[in-house]
Amino acid sequence: MNKSSPGGGPQAALGKLSMAGAVVAVAVGAALVLGLALLLKALGAHPFTLKASTSSSTGGQTVAHLTISAYPDSMAGEHGKSGGAHPDWVSYGPTTNLWVPAHALVKMTIKNYDSATALNSPFFGNVQGTVGGVAYYNGKPLKRINPNDVAHTFTIHMFPTAGQPPLDVSVPLLGVADNAPNAPGSQYPKPTVVTFEFHTGASGRYIWQCFDPCGGTSYYAGFGGPMQNLGYMAGTVTVGGGAVA
Amino acid sequence: MTAQTSVGRPAHHDPNETKPDNPLKRSIVSGIAVGVPLAIIAYFVTSGLVHTTNADPATIRNDSLVIAYLGWGLGFLFGVGAFNRPIQWALSRNEPTHQDELELAGHRGGAWRYFRFTTDHKVVGIQYLVMGMVLFAAGGVAAMLIRLEVIQPGAKMFPIQTYNTIIGMHGLIMIVATIIMITGPFTNFVVPIMIGARDMAFPRLNALSFWLLFTAVPIFLSAPFFGGFQTGWTAYAPLSDQTALGMDAYSLTILFFVASTAVAAVNVVTTVATMRAPGMSWTRLPILTWGSVASSALGLVVMPSFLASQYLLMLDRTIGTGFYKGDRGGSQWLYEHLFWFMGHPEVYVIVLPAFAVVLELLPVFTRKPLFGYRTAVGGIVGVSSLSMIVWAHHMFVTGWSPTASGPFMLTTELISIPTGLVFLASVGTLWRGKAWMTVPMLYLISFLWNFVIGGVTGIYLADVPTDVQLHGSLFVTAHFHYTLMGGGMMAFLAGVYYWYPKMSGRMYDDRLGRIQFWTMQIGFNVTYMAMFYVGLQGEPRRVGDYAAKFAVGNFISSIGAFVIGASMILLWYNLIASKRRGAIAPANPWNAKTLEWQVPTPVPLENFEEIPIVTAGPYEYGTPAEPAHIAGEGVPST
Amino acid sequence: MPRMTPAGRTVLIWWAITTVLGIALVFNIHRILPGLLPTAASPLAQSQDFTLGLFTVLAVPVAMLVWVTAAYVLITSRTREMPTEDGPPIHGNTLVQSAWLGVSSLLCVGLVVYGLALLPDIYTPRPGNQLVVNVTGQQWQWTFSYPGYGNVTSTSLVLPVGRPVTFRVTSVDVTHSFWIPAMGVKVDANDHEITQAFVRPDLKGNYTVRCAELCGLYHAYMQSPVQVTSAARFVNWVHQQKPATA
Ligand SMILES: [Cu+2]
Ligand SMILES: [Cu+2]
Ligand SMILES: [Cu+2]
Repeated sequence: MNKSSPGGGPQAALGKLSMAGAVVAVAVGAALVLGLALLLKALGAHPFTLKASTSSSTGGQTVAHLTISAYPDSMAGEHGKSGGAHPDWVSYGPTTNLWVPAHALVKMTIKNYDSATALNSPFFGNVQGTVGGVAYYNGKPLKRINPNDVAHTFTIHMFPTAGQPPLDVSVPLLGVADNAPNAPGSQYPKPTVVTFEFHTGASGRYIWQCFDPCGGTSYYAGFGGPMQNLGYMAGTVTVGGGAVA
Repeated sequence: MTAQTSVGRPAHHDPNETKPDNPLKRSIVSGIAVGVPLAIIAYFVTSGLVHTTNADPATIRNDSLVIAYLGWGLGFLFGVGAFNRPIQWALSRNEPTHQDELELAGHRGGAWRYFRFTTDHKVVGIQYLVMGMVLFAAGGVAAMLIRLEVIQPGAKMFPIQTYNTIIGMHGLIMIVATIIMITGPFTNFVVPIMIGARDMAFPRLNALSFWLLFTAVPIFLSAPFFGGFQTGWTAYAPLSDQTALGMDAYSLTILFFVASTAVAAVNVVTTVATMRAPGMSWTRLPILTWGSVASSALGLVVMPSFLASQYLLMLDRTIGTGFYKGDRGGSQWLYEHLFWFMGHPEVYVIVLPAFAVVLELLPVFTRKPLFGYRTAVGGIVGVSSLSMIVWAHHMFVTGWSPTASGPFMLTTELISIPTGLVFLASVGTLWRGKAWMTVPMLYLISFLWNFVIGGVTGIYLADVPTDVQLHGSLFVTAHFHYTLMGGGMMAFLAGVYYWYPKMSGRMYDDRLGRIQFWTMQIGFNVTYMAMFYVGLQGEPRRVGDYAAKFAVGNFISSIGAFVIGASMILLWYNLIASKRRGAIAPANPWNAKTLEWQVPTPVPLENFEEIPIVTAGPYEYGTPAEPAHIAGEGVPST
Repeated sequence: MPRMTPAGRTVLIWWAITTVLGIALVFNIHRILPGLLPTAASPLAQSQDFTLGLFTVLAVPVAMLVWVTAAYVLITSRTREMPTEDGPPIHGNTLVQSAWLGVSSLLCVGLVVYGLALLPDIYTPRPGNQLVVNVTGQQWQWTFSYPGYGNVTSTSLVLPVGRPVTFRVTSVDVTHSFWIPAMGVKVDANDHEITQAFVRPDLKGNYTVRCAELCGLYHAYMQSPVQVTSAARFVNWVHQQKPATA
């Protein structure tokens, strides 16, 4: 037979459900997804952004000062005294989110409390992008250090947004001796103090990271764990809009 | 009537069987009750043991985690009753009676049979449908999170490591969901009835395949709690050798999932080969059956390669082998080839059943026979065979042997010929046909639109010169979403609306279905057209942050994605609410001729009162009345 | 040849019209979407852009055949109610099936032959005096060194215009992929291996090197500037750089 049988097609069910119910379902679903997104955002948030303290030097040039540290664990960095989820991971502190003013001379100090791990690529034993192409290691100016003596590097590279000037700064941190005793009253040995200066241009957003395979030998190429999570060996540098008086 | 066969009557049950269901027996509850403690015990026992011999804390947890996952999997399967029959077989000489089999098939009905080791193919089909929808929801939530992060540049939503894990979660969940979306629900529920069988050839393996999949899901969803994995779903080594413990969850998921697909595939192939009703010759098989067999057979060959790739990775990560580590003489080549030997054919494992659904439904809604049935079968078999020798087109720009690129370019492009035959069958069936614009039919049309775009853009990636530019860009992402989502998932949605009346016993809400269709279509095309655009502009895949010039395309793409998300919620709402409030479905609302529409709704256990004798093909539309079967002269009910 | 039905003629006419319109759209796409493709800074990239256009033009009639036929059926025979009559019992048409098979096979073979003819452009060096650049990918930065110039090393890539370049690419950790979108060059950077890519940049300007293979945390930021400049400026630049190791 070529005729259709009775019994009703889907038309029989036309408009049986309320549209209001559907709208509510969509709203609830959207709210749940957004809630999850905000939860993940909160879980990944950094404690704070470290702002460079600024002063005007002679000639009206803004000068900014910024001090951070590199630790052999996470007990003093941005994860608090308890060390957070991974107390044994190497970390920078007090935070890995940094802010410096635009069109300024930034005088940066990094105290390194960690011992050395040989670099994967010796190139990052070079000091680059600083004033005079040097950094001062416990006061001693050097253009490069031995790739085997590097504990971490502080390397800013460019953010993929057009219209902001390049900011390429890379400074290797000299490691403390492997068996150095803890300093009196401290949980760490006496640090290597590394100081250097660089100029910022117009405002922009940049990222920085460490290039030393300090993530531990159980991870391939030493780039697992702390190297793969923000807040340990990687973070952001925001170059602020305009000079701060 | 010209329908392919008879109307059956409900199978009679033993009226003495009125014992209430014990929810603890062979159920999800007993499974969890055994699986979770076993996982915890396994973790602490092994971490205690290994602590003494290995000083590296990261390695220890990793070993123990893998053992814990195995403990969960084996414990759950034991608790759910998957091993009852093998144990019984080994330890006693009792053979199960027919009453035992009916018991296992859930003949007393009730909702609890969906939560236990039930062998009835229709229960397994519905379990797979719900699981597929749950996986689409989970993968969809991940997709929404992805599009939230990249709606504007700057990675302002999540830390970038979270984003990197989310893309891998989205990828693998969607791959699993699309692999099971048609052969899970529809092949299981529909194909045995279509071919005139009472169940699958191996009902216990059928239940096992579902519960193996079920075992894998919580393992995978635990990955973010162990640091995630920043590798994407391709999990390329040695990055996967390096990333966090979530990678081990991935590897173990694949172990269980591949076992599940293998068990299911053997069952489908055997069922179709041996369980066809008298007269159901190979050329009278409904085309869905061909698609299911071709997809299953293909999966059976290629999926073990995925398992191998992940097994080696698991060994690299736990006991320190170096299969993929260059510094120990291993190589990423091994991983890439093992992975893509599965990875490309897997696309066809997904798409072949989708082709088959389209060709199965088009005759119903055009009221015309399938155009060129044998050509279409040739196309399906051709795609499935050729797809096993094309995988290395993923290697064109890896720096591998250049002389090998030519031959793989040839095999890859040859696939367009059998694929074209499937399209010919679609267009030929439409031609001079009716166009009964139901919701399933709308989805068939959208398949023709989307898959043509997916297929054409595939040519750019198959041809080496253009692939060099486009490989690894968002163009690729847009392309495979057009094939797997625009093609595969649209066919799945056609199938959901088409078989929903048979599977649920209710009609879906037509108006809501149409709204769902249009939001899905518009959202989909906006999302992925915009993604083609940024891909051509040069934006790489899998980046949580990007240059300003990609901002417009990404914004449009995100808006489209949110529309898709809303559309999927409408689908959920329609299916759930209609199950409770929809109109009672007639046995054959589409006036279709294949066997599954000739049995009552709900379909009785064992499907047919008596096995029919088939005397005609499945798509005899427009042919004057002529009995297509002789009802009631087949094999009597057992 | 069977005689053409009116329906067939209508579809044929609309197929021709939409095909012409579609091809016209392809030819004008750069006016509608400026910046759709990156600047083509090498003959290789120009040839890729041409191939993209060619494939799109070839795809238009194929896609239109499917879409116009489907659209015709939908426009002329659509119904919301269950059809009361079946369509004609057409099970196939040998001529149509053979013709479809023949045409699609020819198209396919054509594409393969075309692709094979262009393979040497990808896998062999451009003729001339090669500038060798050793490219090292690592998590998450590229470094470029110039063995012909005392092995000087930099994080930005500078190339003289018009000189053939051989990139020798490797990685010190996981797999990366060296991609200059503007030049149409891409090859993976594999751990403990050297792969090669070849190009002749012929347009001065500033471009980008991208990593095109997910490589962990900062994959999104793994990109470096490329400058194509005059030979004199290149030599000037290269002498200001320092070697990788002292
Ligand atoms: Cu470090
Ligand atoms: Cu492929
Ligand atoms: Cu990379």
